[in-house]
Amino acid sequence: MLEANRHKKINILSYSEVVDIDGYIGNFKVKVNRKARFIDENKCTGCGSCTEVCPIYVPNYFDENLSVRKVIDNAFAQAVPAVQDIIRNSCVECFACVDVCENDAIDFSQRDQIIELEVGTIIVATGWDLYKGDDYGYGTYENVINQIELERILAPNGPTYGHLIRPSDKKRPTKILFINCVGSRDVKKNAYCSVVCCNLSLKNSKLIKSEYPDSEIICTYIDIRCAGKGYEEYYRRSRDAGIIFLKGLIGSMREDSLTKNLIVQFEPVGTDTVISMEFHMVILSSASLPSQGTVEIAKVLNMERSPDGFLKEYHARLDPISTKVPGIYICGSAQGQKEIDKSVSQAKGAASSAAIPMIKGDYTMELIRASPTDERCAKCYKCIEACPYSAISVNKTSNIVVDLINCRGCGICAAICPSQAIELIYYRDNQYMAYIDELLPLND
Amino acid sequence: MAGTIRAQYPPSIRTVLVPCTGRVGSDLVMRSFGRGADGVLVVG
Repeated sequence: MLEANRHKKINILSYSEVVDIDGYIGNFKVKVNRKARFIDENKCTGCGSCTEVCPIYVPNYFDENLSVRKVIDNAFAQAVPAVQDIIRNSCVECFACVDVCENDAIDFSQRDQIIELEVGTIIVATGWDLYKGDDYGYGTYENVINQIELERILAPNGPTYGHLIRPSDKKRPTKILFINCVGSRDVKKNAYCSVVCCNLSLKNSKLIKSEYPDSEIICTYIDIRCAGKGYEEYYRRSRDAGIIFLKGLIGSMREDSLTKNLIVQFEPVGTDTVISMEFHMVILSSASLPSQGTVEIAKVLNMERSPDGFLKEYHARLDPISTKVPGIYICGSAQGQKEIDKSVSQAKGAASSAAIPMIKGDYTMELIRASPTDERCAKCYKCIEACPYSAISVNKTSNIVVDLINCRGCGICAAICPSQAIELIYYRDNQYMAYIDELLPLND
Repeated sequence: MAGTIRAQYPPSIRTVLVPCTGRVGSDLVMRSFGRGADGVLVVG
């Protein structure tokens, strides 16, 4: 990320949002809302003297709210660009930071600013969000946490500097349960497999086991899905390390109100017995969801989404990078949940795909396009409302004009037109009529 | 789709290819009924 930021030809607009798009491949006009961050990116050096004087502490969102930070603080150590971050809603406006800043970088008069960019191609990589349902008492029982929270706890720069503690009494848990497929592979919630959680459970359980060999770790699963290069070996090493894998679903879970331990009823697959087990901490491998950004950008860019909510690719097997809109490409978890290596492959593919038409300088398109006939048009303008690509407009003489580049040749306008004044080249009404007449001959 | 899942369908079915299901208007459907079709299935 730092390398990208230093690159002369890469311009990173952080804390910004795409609000509108116009145009077509090679000539997109994108409106970007640069949100007021109240800090001048060019002046701030990230020295942190403002953080020292700031009197207000807020939950640290980067640490999944497991630690605290100041209202003005760096978002996280490796943040790019390395400028301070103000949580404006919690700021009491004492302006102590303004006084202490040597570079006059803090500017509370900043407002949101809309800028317009002209770009040739677009890549959408909006990632994923974590499912945070109340399954297994998450949110109620203190010692039930999700994998991302565990990641922060185990991180050397995290809230506990990498020391494993449980939230309720800050003591080290020795009996730990990992539950896989929380909120995923469940037709009532998310029917799909979230792909990464099996390996994530293996990684984190192995990390705990190597750090604290006396830990008792049990991992329950529906199926262990560690397909991919090196993953099966990783799974084998986890079993060899002494992590216990049990196939089956957790029936019920309750919290011991005194010890805050979790008492779990578990039915192993293939048996008719129910085991009752007690754990100090429970880790949920929660489902991955399309991120909030994916949902928003799909609306702005008029992109389709698959039934699971992730962005829809042109073809799930043969072209998972392109979209229905030429010039817009997708990669990573915005398209569907995947591992890091596959995200990297797809990102490189998307980068190449986006570069090809730009270097070539021309773009070939099909000629199946709507064509209006002015004489027949009754000017009801139903086609304008019906066009999903906003390709139809009215010219000065109130005649219909079709933008041949934005038109995708779907034919909705041709179907809706009451006077057959707009037709689809190669798929005209009279051609269809002749087609139907031939298929269904009248016998008499 | 029917081809992908190797589904069988009766030989009395006639298929008309359209670029998009949006292209199917009432005129095409009515024409088919007028020519004696028992039903029209719009499949996307």
